[in-house]
Order: sequence, then structure tokens, then C-alpha cells
Amino acid sequence: MLCVRPCRAEDLAGIESVVNQNRSRVSSLPLNRDKLSERIDHSVRSFEQDPDTEHRELFLFVLENTETGEIAGTAGIHRNNDKRRPFYNYRLDELIHSSPKLGIHTAVPVMYLTHELTGTTVLSSFAILEKYRDSAYFDLLARSRLLFMRQFSELFSDQIAVELQGVLSENDESAFWDSLGRHFFDMDFATADYYSGIKSRTFIAEMMPQHPIYVLLLTAEAQEVLGRADARTEATSRLLLKEGFKTSKYVDIFDGGPTLLAELDKCRTVAQVQEKQIRSHEVHTGPRYLAANQSFEGFRCTLTQLTDGMGDVLRVDAAAAECLGLSEGESMSFAPL
Amino acid sequence: MMVIRPIRASDLDALYQLAKHAGIGVTTLPANAELLLERINLSEKSFAQKVPRERANYMFALEDSEAERVVGVSAIEAYVGADDVWYNYRLSTSVNASKEIGVHTSNQTLYLTNDLTGCSEVCSLFLHADYRSGPNGRLLSKCRFLFMREFQRLFSDKVIAEMRGFSDAQGRSPFWEALGRKFFGMDFSQADYLSGLGNKSFVAELMPKYPIYLAFLDPDAQAVVGEVHENTRPALAMLRQEGFDFNGFVDIFDAGPIVECFVRNVRAVRESSLRQTLVAKHAPQVHDDSDYFLVSNCGLENFRATLVTREAVTYDTVSLSPEHARLLGVGMSDPLRVIPLRYKENI
Repeated sequence: MLCVRPCRAEDLAGIESVVNQNRSRVSSLPLNRDKLSERIDHSVRSFEQDPDTEHRELFLFVLENTETGEIAGTAGIHRNNDKRRPFYNYRLDELIHSSPKLGIHTAVPVMYLTHELTGTTVLSSFAILEKYRDSAYFDLLARSRLLFMRQFSELFSDQIAVELQGVLSENDESAFWDSLGRHFFDMDFATADYYSGIKSRTFIAEMMPQHPIYVLLLTAEAQEVLGRADARTEATSRLLLKEGFKTSKYVDIFDGGPTLLAELDKCRTVAQVQEKQIRSHEVHTGPRYLAANQSFEGFRCTLTQLTDGMGDVLRVDAAAAECLGLSEGESMSFAPL
Repeated sequence: MMVIRPIRASDLDALYQLAKHAGIGVTTLPANAELLLERINLSEKSFAQKVPRERANYMFALEDSEAERVVGVSAIEAYVGADDVWYNYRLSTSVNASKEIGVHTSNQTLYLTNDLTGCSEVCSLFLHADYRSGPNGRLLSKCRFLFMREFQRLFSDKVIAEMRGFSDAQGRSPFWEALGRKFFGMDFSQADYLSGLGNKSFVAELMPKYPIYLAFLDPDAQAVVGEVHENTRPALAMLRQEGFDFNGFVDIFDAGPIVECFVRNVRAVRESSLRQTLVAKHAPQVHDDSDYFLVSNCGLENFRATLVTREAVTYDTVSLSPEHARLLGVGMSDPLRVIPLRYKENI
């Protein structure tokens, strides 16, 4: 059975191999063992039930095959709440350049460097083994976070964000970067992206151009990809749009990829969640559901078929209940797959 | 004989013909009769001290006295930007550096400024093609410095000149193509013409207000920032000899350089000196090999300047033929301001 749970220190090798195989790059999961290990430690501390944990910033989950112990994917929630790590975005605005006398009225797009999404919870660090990409487990891994966030919503912002990878060439070159960032950072996109995953924000403050950018002055290729997600993110993008995420005025400062935004409680998964007490049973029919326990540090989420009867009682497959660590009469959250 | 005098209303036709030939890039001389008449009127009022000092614009005409024909003009704007908004780009350097990742980059950046507001400007110089050989260009340009020396109180401490920027044989400015066109959606010539009409509000309405990183422009546009048009090289060389230098500002349309000098440091201002008029029937006349001296009277409304040959200039006098004296409007013992037309050595 495949089940989502908080990551542990011993998941390092598994996570590393998932990241290695992942089709698109994930800035928040650098291919650097020490940095990955730091991320995991950070998440482990975030899950410790100590309200004084200062840096409760990152919650990292893994998708585990409970029979084989294989790590099949990883997904994170970043509270993005640390003022020491401002969240950089370009906000895409328009200025109206208008001359009535000359009859010229143009909307001039301008990008402003902003930190205003700092404090907005970000879904991040998503990677999954290729064999599960087109399966329901892709949904499970991605959406399990929404169930977790719903249950512990006091930890997260009302609005949540996802950054989608911008358009890259086959060699992972970004036309947006080549037209903009490269002039200031003097390095290729892959290097800058790697640094952004492992360094403090200081180098971004130091290297980013301080003035707003006229989109008209970027190369045609850069303008073309501005605000567009790479084709490799299509599955993620489709899932998010179905959840109710919408494209926003914000784009990534390095690759121009879009930032999607949604209200947590309006996300489809969250809106459809029900909670009921369970009764173990053999269940082999009916539609599949995302099912999660209500524990914080012991959070589990899996896919299972349910028989949702009348009243507050729910028949759940015994194996699924065991996987979630739930006994008869305990409460379970579930949402339709 | 070639004489400089304040322009007059009767010169309108001649001025219009000159403006038609001035072409793209001489922003301050648009071929628009109504506007040129306004320019002349303003100049006449300026010489007559009938406009506030900071609004004044003094326009000089070069007349061939035998042909009774105006063949060139030049002007001084007393205080730029007093009446409208004076825009330039300041060419700055932005440095980004990070010890953490070991990178240090430098990017040239253009800032839209009004920093030169209040400077005096030498401008609108144009000489008919038939008269371009010989000393006429220098006479037309340099007479302004004698005038400024004489009436320093009417001008700012600093004088600038906007040099026409690079454009190719088709009049295409690579800088304009890379920047202005994207915001104005028109040809350089049209923008230049509109700007010359004196209403800069379209600049305020359409020009990008945020700084421009040069790296975003095409390489051929970057290459011409601060470069002058080929035809402007002699004018630039001459101003350099007077002590003018690039001041880090460029034109917002074609990126031509602005050169500047403190008025008191302009060589013609520093080195010109006063002599007395000596009217003599057989005063030495200019000839083909003349070593020219520029002389002007000390009048404001009846300002005149012309060329004499070196032999006419002594340590305290300038010999003028009666005809020459009449053209300069001076009589025996009247003061004259004198400066060599060319300096012996270049600065």
C-alpha cells in the first residue's frame, strides 16, 4: 500500500533517488546530499510537537510503499514565514502610456521585484517516481498536503501559492534568464537555480537588478515564455487548476514561470473533505477516496475504497485503517479522489 | 564679407530654407515656419531684454554682406528647461556583487533626469552647404562665446551642447530603434520633430520613467550610446578645443553625448581680450592664407562679429577698413573683443 507520511532522517537516500529521477528540476530540492539532509532535519523539527519550535517552516512528506519501504515521491509545504528569507517574485503590472494629442495609448507591461508573498504558504518540493506519474498516487501525494493543511490551518496562510517551473529548453536553458538574470548574475540558469536552492537570500538581494523591468525590452524569446509553465509541469498544473488555483500577477524572478494562488478553504479537496468515525471492514467496491488520519506528527494519508453509510460511521478497509494507524471509532478525514 | 548679427523677422524665409536642409537630429531647428517665426520673435525680444532672463534665446544669423543673404544660424538658450521640461539620460553604472557566490557584475544604466535644467546651451547651429568650407563654421559657433563673455550675467555658470547622435545613411538611429520606437511607436525623425516643436508633454506621457539597463538593448544600440553623428565630429572637436567635455549625459532619443563646460572656463571666454578700433583706409584685408581673428563689438541688441586677418590685430588695436567698421557698427576707439579663430595648439 502506498501511503503519505512525514519524512524521517532515514528517508534521505530514497528522496535523493526520487529527485534524481524526477523529470523536471525542483529548485526547492537541490541535488546536494547535505542540503537535502538539512531539509529533512528541518522538517523533522517542524513536526515535533513543540509549540516553541522557532523554525517550524518546512513540512516535508514522502510517499512510501509500505510493503517494500520504497520511497516513491516527496512533497512539501513551506510556510515561507521567515523574514530572514524574503520570498522574491516579479509582480507583472501594466502602466498606461497615453498621449491624447498623438493618439497613442499603450499598456506597457512592467515587472516589479517584490517580497509581498513572503508569509504566503507555498506548496513545494514535489517529485515523484516516473512509474507513478500517471497514477492516482500522483494525486494522493499532491493533495494529501491539502488535507494536512486543512487540519492544521492555524499554521498556514489563508492564501496558498505554488510556483511552476518556467519554460526551459531541452538543455535546461531559460530564455527568460538569458534575457534578464544572466546580465546581472553572469552565470547560466542551472547554476543560479542551484544556488537559489542552497544559498541564503543574500545573493539574490545583491545580484538582482534593483529597478523595475520593462517587458518590452526583453528579447522576444523571453517575452514569449514570460508567465508560462514548462510542458513538463503539465500534470501538476492540471491538478492545481482543478483544485481551483489561478494564475496570478506573480512570476518567478529567474525563469519567469507562473505563481499560482488559491484560497486554502476554497480548494476543491478541502471543500469536499468529510470527517467520520471508522469501522473496519472488507471493502472492495465503490469509488476511491483520499483518506487521512488527524494526527500531526503521525500524519498519514492514503488511497482507499470506502463505503460511506448513513450517519457518522464509515466502513473502511482494514488494511487502509492499519496504514493510517486508526482503530475502530476513531475519526478519519476523507475526500473523493 | 561675412558678418554675424542678431536674427531679424525679415530672415524668416532664409531660416526656413536652412531648417529644411538641416535634417534629422538638429532638434532645435524644426522646419516649421510658424515655430521658426516664434523663435525669431523670441530672439528679438531677448536681445532687446524684453523677456525674463531665464526665458531668453539668442539667435545669431551669418550674413554674406555682398550677397545680402543669410547663410547660417546659431543660437544660445539662456537657461534650458525654464519653460518646458529638459530631459536627458544620465549614463550610470550599476554594480552587483556577491561574495557568497563570488560574482561581480557591472551594468550601464540610463536614468531619465532633468539634471541639466538651468544650464545655458549653445544650439541650433546650421550653415548652408555652399559656405561650409573655410572659417564660417567656426565663426558661427565661436561668436557665441564672445557674446557670453560680454554678457555673462545673462547666462548660467555652465554651458552645454547636445551633440547629434549616431544615425546611419538612411537616418536610422539604432538607439531609437532599440528603445524609443518601442514606447513611441514612431520614427526617430517624427519624434525629433515633435520634440523640436517645444511641447515635451508627449515625452512625459510616453517615455519610460524607470531606469533602462543598457544590457537589454541590441548590441548596435549599446554601441552608439554617447557617440556622435559623423557630420557632428568637427563641431565636437571644436567644442573640445574650447574646453568642453562629455558630462555623462546623453540624448533620450538618439543617445548623442552632451558636452559641457563652465562658462568662465571656455577658452574663448577666458582668453578673449579687448582692443580699440582703429579705422584705417588701408587696413589689412583677409586673404586666402589669413590667420583669422574673430572680433566682435560689445553691443547687445546690435551685436556684430566678423573675421579679420592677424595683421590687423596689434597689442591694443584692431585695424578695420571703413566698410568693415560700418558692418561691425563701431567707430574710432570703440572697444572690440578679440580671440584667435583657431588656437595654435589643441588642448
